[in-house]
Amino acid sequence: MKKYWKDIKSKKSQEKISDIKKVSDENVFFGFLGDEEKITHASRRDFLKLCGFSFAVSALASCQSKISKAVPYVIAPVEMTPGMPLYYSSSYINGNDYCSIIVKTRDGRPIKIEGNPGSGITMGGTSARVQASVLDLYDSGRFHGPMKDGKPSEWESIDKEIIGKLQDIVEEKGRIVLLTPTVFSPSTEAVIAGFLRKFKGSEWVQYDAISYSAMLEANKISFGKQVIPDFRFDKADLVVSFGADFLGTWLSPVEYTKQFSSGRNPEHEMTRLIQLESNLTITGSNADKRIQIKPSQEPSILLNIYKEIVKVLENRNFNTPACPVDVSEISKNLISFKGKSIVISGSKVKEVQLLVNEINRLLGNIGQTILFNSFLRTHAALDSQMKMLIEKMQRGMVNALLVWNVNPAYTWYNRDAFTGGLKKVGLTISLSGSPDETNTLFQFICPDHHYLESWNDAEAKREHFSLMQPTINHIFDTRQMADTLLKWTGSTISFYDFIKDYWADNLMSRQSEFTDPVMFFDRTLQKGIFEPASSKGLSVEKLPKTDSLAFNPAAFKTGDNSGKKSIEIVFYETVAIGEGRQANNPWLQELPDPVTKICWDNYASISPLLAKEYNLNDNDVIKLEEVELPVHIQAGQAYGTIGIALGYGRLKCGKAGENIGTDVWPMLLSENGNIVHTVKLDHIVKTGKTYTFAQTQTHHSMEGRAFVREADLSEFRNNQAAGNELHAYNLEHNKSLYKERTYPHHHWGMAIDLSKCTGCANCVIACQAENNVPVVGKEEVHRVHEMHWLRIDRYYTGDEDDPEVVFQPVLCQHCQNAPCENVCPVAATNHSSEGLNQMIYNRCFGTRYCNNNCPYKVRRFNWFNYSAAGTLTGNLRDKEGMTENLRRMVLNPDVTIRAQGVIEKCSFCVQRIQAAKLKAKYENRALMENEIQTACSQSCPANAIVFGDMNDLKSELNRLINSGRRYNLLEELFTMPSVNYLTRIKNKIV
Amino acid sequence: MFKYSQAEKIKYLLSLISFSFIFVTALPNTYLLQIADTNKVQPKDTLSRQLSDSVIYKKENFSSEELIRGERLFYGLVYLGDKSINCEACHNTHVSDTLNWNPDALEISRKYLDKNAYYLSKVLLKPLGTKMKQVHKGFQLTVQDIVLIKAYMNKFVGIGLKKNKPIITNLLLLIIASFLFLLSSVDIVIRKVYKSQRINWAILTVMGIVITWILAVNAISFGRAKGYSPAQPIKFSHAVHAGQNKTDCNYCHYTARSSKTAGIPPASICLNCHFLVRNGTRSGATEIAKVLKAYDDKKPVEWVRIYKLPDFVFFSHEQHVSAGEITCDACHGNVKEMNRLYQVPDLSMGWCINCHKTRKVNLSNEYYKTYYSDYYESFKAGKIDSVVIAGIGGRDCGKCHY
Repeated sequence: MKKYWKDIKSKKSQEKISDIKKVSDENVFFGFLGDEEKITHASRRDFLKLCGFSFAVSALASCQSKISKAVPYVIAPVEMTPGMPLYYSSSYINGNDYCSIIVKTRDGRPIKIEGNPGSGITMGGTSARVQASVLDLYDSGRFHGPMKDGKPSEWESIDKEIIGKLQDIVEEKGRIVLLTPTVFSPSTEAVIAGFLRKFKGSEWVQYDAISYSAMLEANKISFGKQVIPDFRFDKADLVVSFGADFLGTWLSPVEYTKQFSSGRNPEHEMTRLIQLESNLTITGSNADKRIQIKPSQEPSILLNIYKEIVKVLENRNFNTPACPVDVSEISKNLISFKGKSIVISGSKVKEVQLLVNEINRLLGNIGQTILFNSFLRTHAALDSQMKMLIEKMQRGMVNALLVWNVNPAYTWYNRDAFTGGLKKVGLTISLSGSPDETNTLFQFICPDHHYLESWNDAEAKREHFSLMQPTINHIFDTRQMADTLLKWTGSTISFYDFIKDYWADNLMSRQSEFTDPVMFFDRTLQKGIFEPASSKGLSVEKLPKTDSLAFNPAAFKTGDNSGKKSIEIVFYETVAIGEGRQANNPWLQELPDPVTKICWDNYASISPLLAKEYNLNDNDVIKLEEVELPVHIQAGQAYGTIGIALGYGRLKCGKAGENIGTDVWPMLLSENGNIVHTVKLDHIVKTGKTYTFAQTQTHHSMEGRAFVREADLSEFRNNQAAGNELHAYNLEHNKSLYKERTYPHHHWGMAIDLSKCTGCANCVIACQAENNVPVVGKEEVHRVHEMHWLRIDRYYTGDEDDPEVVFQPVLCQHCQNAPCENVCPVAATNHSSEGLNQMIYNRCFGTRYCNNNCPYKVRRFNWFNYSAAGTLTGNLRDKEGMTENLRRMVLNPDVTIRAQGVIEKCSFCVQRIQAAKLKAKYENRALMENEIQTACSQSCPANAIVFGDMNDLKSELNRLINSGRRYNLLEELFTMPSVNYLTRIKNKIV
Repeated sequence: MFKYSQAEKIKYLLSLISFSFIFVTALPNTYLLQIADTNKVQPKDTLSRQLSDSVIYKKENFSSEELIRGERLFYGLVYLGDKSINCEACHNTHVSDTLNWNPDALEISRKYLDKNAYYLSKVLLKPLGTKMKQVHKGFQLTVQDIVLIKAYMNKFVGIGLKKNKPIITNLLLLIIASFLFLLSSVDIVIRKVYKSQRINWAILTVMGIVITWILAVNAISFGRAKGYSPAQPIKFSHAVHAGQNKTDCNYCHYTARSSKTAGIPPASICLNCHFLVRNGTRSGATEIAKVLKAYDDKKPVEWVRIYKLPDFVFFSHEQHVSAGEITCDACHGNVKEMNRLYQVPDLSMGWCINCHKTRKVNLSNEYYKTYYSDYYESFKAGKIDSVVIAGIGGRDCGKCHY
């Protein structure tokens, strides 16, 4: 069996268990390294005083129960039943991110987001960012109303003033510029067009912080279409990706994860993924073959692949520079999967993208796996346009600047140019909903609604329309951006009516089901989506004209690798924080990075070899140009490269997100008009300082024991139990002293397919939102107090310089022989008749015996009062403002909010089980297939988690459980878990 | 009785004469002009406006003697003509634990706080409501007395109704028992007073039992509210609505069948009937007017919640009413006979579990037929006569606590 190790330190010291990291004494109580919080010493007197006080308080509090009021509606809304959830279909749009969603509301409050299974794009999946977006709604840091020069103002007066000023500019033939991210809402586009018509001489510039402009420009040259094509990973049998993290952050990750995982069925077909990259990404972790390269090597590798393909397919030959890696295998694979492969690159260099296009064209992938008729509309901005705008601003040619949802003063590589130019703009108006580095410099703030308060529509992919509808009345005195523009244009209708008119005029004719526009709109609103493409057979691809002269291998520059600057920094966006839009979201900040398992920070990831060269250890602080960053030694990081996440170090965004991590946007460079995410450096400067991370994985050491079982596809085809031989052995040898319990009626269980799981961490946030899991903050995570009920363990295998990565979601295993249950002195945790391991908070008094006895370490203890549910004062730990009344609106009323001093853990979403069972009884029927979904299984974009009744023999769950791949975690302990794992099968190149 | 100064006597006499004069001349007009809700409508004709503006009614400063007379008048301690009028007999000045249909002193005083005594005098002397006409018949109050009664009642606005003193038998008993226990203990240690230690041991045993019993009983009932029956903002009677008028519980508590909560009916539901029904047989217009006002002002009525489970208990009405097919009175008692609602069970876990141990499940539901087919088959074959809730996992902790 393979040897697994969890990080470099533990690989080295696997024999010495005594080496387990000791937290230094001064960190143990009341203090934290490097934090300015003073170390307080609590004396015995204080302790006794506190004891006496708390006893008195609790005694008094229990003497008289509070009089509680029951306040009904005056007039009850027809659609609402108090105490029952209501669901609305809507769309998530945040910058370039899109997801078709269903919003769960309780008593008028949106509390949970689910994927819309009807959507042809996201197909019911969500991402961690989508799941967490509901918390952004309840952010008191958002603008509370319109402002002028930093002071609160009124909409009426502000409208009057702005309209007057805009008209003056038009009369003086000045320039008004509207700056937005890529807008893919047809109605918003129409509103903007109306605005541009009304104010003559105005311009509209789209700017994406993480842009794909090199790709857009290359596609324009190669195919005559300046669009991002529709990549169909479900149709591809081979994916070769150059640094494109398409399962994590690249373009449309939810869609791609759905598509990719649909092709990862060892029993049927298996897509092969080859990843060549510098940083260890989720995609790289899931690759069947991962090759570490420096970004500067990418052109020459691509060119060599091109050469090989040309040699075979077109029988031509030309000279290329020497290739740093062996590409013969990749080329051979690509040729054999001709027309069924995808080659992609995350590069921001136009020439590289041109070469990628050429390879795809040669392989006949265009029109097969890369479709141009249903292109992606979420990314259309060109960096050159933004550059031109800033030049105009600097020359004083812009008289008014309207900014919506972009933050160039933070994300633009040359932010001084922007802020300098801004000083020459006469009128600055921000239409964004929350404060950021840009709009704090602005005169007028006309705040936008949160997307859960807004009407909108979207066309994320051509002919894939969807609607957004408000699920709550706007909390603050905000107004939707489109409504504001309509008002200034002089229109009297609301944006809601505008959308309805637009749909009646433009989209109604694309269908024949409804003849009444009201009916059409209402039914579409109910479904959330409108996809005429699928019904009209748009998928018949007309091949775009290709310009074979667009690419000339002789003129292709592969770059200079011999130079002095040997270290390359590769900037990336994390799964949680992205470009930093949701920086003020404590859920996302506390979400451990899928690979490094660090939260609340960014850092410089360097390879173990490079660290040795520079004599660097984890937590050392290094200086790169002007920026100081802590070091994280990352196995699998390409030698000679440093990976740094963008989106951190926000200065203005709200209480929780400010000054988290380091801002590295200014380190980016512009090359031929496009911003590139790679920078070369001479050397690294060691500062001698150290820094402490909050990292979750080191606390979950499995000490060298293998839980993730792996096999290669070829082995699996011969033997269904390949890599899982231990399972049969354990089944045979396990004996228990206890009488075996049976669950004849329901027996809830779960199967997690490790072949499909990509480790994207959507389930972690979905669970947090559903089950009121508290946020504890960086210090508490560092002190091993994080509360996530579901964690994703990540293990490395193989060589430390070129490891393979495996992910394993771990939640309460709901053991039938549960070790935790035997040791609870008050029976606060016990077994239900349906096979659930129950945790009864009101019974628990916090001995933590169960926590100690749980071999999976899935139980969490409330060390402090994180949720403000406790009655005693003084123990509240809430730096992030999660217990503010507004933030607490997100809590799920169907799940108890746990107080200090009790253990909590995964309940298999028992509230959902109970609700579904009740519905079945009420409707006098049996449960429907997949009617009960846990929060983690429902929105999993990879369909890796399946929940169900193990007694239901026809269920999908039972099919998986009976597969040869099934095994249980630590099955040699004979705990008999209800959570089953399926062996991870890789499709390696043999 | 009371002693008045000469000046006061003259003042009262003069005002009495002038009042009776105006009263006699104005009577026919004002009577005709009165409308159902006397308190809302301003007098229209000039004469009555003069009346309401009259100085007598606007008196604001009162001497302590005057206030005492007001109080005595309210409690019926002043003999007026051929009968004494006791306001307190109908209008409570204490917090009451039974339903009194009539508005209490606090409510009346709040209502007339910003109005002058003229309006009060109208209700007292020439009431319109049927009920008021009966009980306020033949009142012989002078204007001055009415002004004083109002002055006395005004004090309730500040201090609220008088509260009944709690009965402290248990506490007294505990203190005495503890004292005796302590004495005996001391005596055992020091051995001075009693020669026979048996008495001490006897006292210790008995008192120990008493103390334990008191503590145990009180500790168990801590946080439980059996019999809790708070005064509600509107004197709503379930006996009248559910009992006499036979309104179905589900008519008002319409979410009980389909939601976790039974729901307190919104004012709009009340208006379904009370849009037309504006006079109650016993409460008159006063109480119904409150719900009409809530509806007009768009301000919900803030009822005091009686049945309340802790946050860590998840109870669903839908589960019990619809799926479990149990009637409302199984938990809420005979609501049809309660004027003022009170909590019937103690809502303890033991109470829940007792029911789960004894109540039978309707096995003919398709759900049970599918998943509890073994029970259903035995039931059909006559091997078992029933399955109780505990038999299908009704005692699992996680069914209610999650």
